[in-house]
Amino acid sequence: MKKIPRRDKLKIYGDLLSVLYSEANTEKIVLTRIQTRINVPFDRLKNYILELNKLGLIQDEKTLKLTEKGKQYLIEYERVLDFMKRMGLTYQ
Amino acid sequence: MYQEARITVEVVSAIICFILVRYMIKPYSLTREGRYIGLPLGFAFLGISYVIAAFAYSELYFVSELLWIQLLTRTFAFVFLAVTYYFSNKPSKNTRLLWDITFSLLIVSLIALFLVIFIFPQVVSSNYNSSQMYIRVFNVICLSYIVIHTLRSHIRKPDPTTIWIPLGFILFAISQYSLLFWYTDNSLAAFTGSLTLRLMALVVFLAVAYLSFAEGKRTEK
Repeated sequence: MKKIPRRDKLKIYGDLLSVLYSEANTEKIVLTRIQTRINVPFDRLKNYILELNKLGLIQDEKTLKLTEKGKQYLIEYERVLDFMKRMGLTYQ
Repeated sequence: MYQEARITVEVVSAIICFILVRYMIKPYSLTREGRYIGLPLGFAFLGISYVIAAFAYSELYFVSELLWIQLLTRTFAFVFLAVTYYFSNKPSKNTRLLWDITFSLLIVSLIALFLVIFIFPQVVSSNYNSSQMYIRVFNVICLSYIVIHTLRSHIRKPDPTTIWIPLGFILFAISQYSLLFWYTDNSLAAFTGSLTLRLMALVVFLAVAYLSFAEGKRTEK
């Protein structure tokens, strides 16, 4: 069986933000779908959403949405991960 | 003419290294994981070693200790890079303590070696020529380790963008290897080849860093 590497909080935050970004066009974001896509237990997902909300990276009004700060963070995050991949560095 | 060319290459290399530090610090700034600090430190040390080399060869301010300092800073640069690659493969939770110990030991040994150079200059200056051969061999070993590591990660997930960094480190390793020939038989071809390969390696790193961040900016627009 293939071993799934443990992710740290930063990686989970990154995954969550990128899933939210890809779901930006959907009318209502369903949490269970997000949960399946980023593969975390539901209670922990709710905690992560609260933390990201406090950091000002997402807003939770009518539906979950990335803030401008969240979008900037996601762009920088993906850019650095791409750079690390090119440098031959593993981030897990 | 020869002297001027050499100083120019050293200065250009130092400038490229300091530009690279700006990019290399980004993985550490994002993750705040100590194991990635070796990357900017490595390139900063390389830059410092080239600045010292430029001073030493310009003969504006020449003391024999300068040669030792540039040799040691360069060696520590390669060690920092090799250690970063070694730890990047391991899950950070399990190796945090080991990384902290390794990093502290490296800093302590660097300070201790610098103190030895300044306290016993007569001992080190007489041993420079014989010692530098062994140190260069050690540098080649460090660089070979990085080459194997980066090539392995390229082979695991082949991607045209990931082949450039192993190539850069291969050029660096050959450049260090050429210096060994230069010290043994004074071959000018080996020496100019070494400087050219080093510049090529640094340009490869700069291009990779620039493309990672410039391409990201373009997609953002």
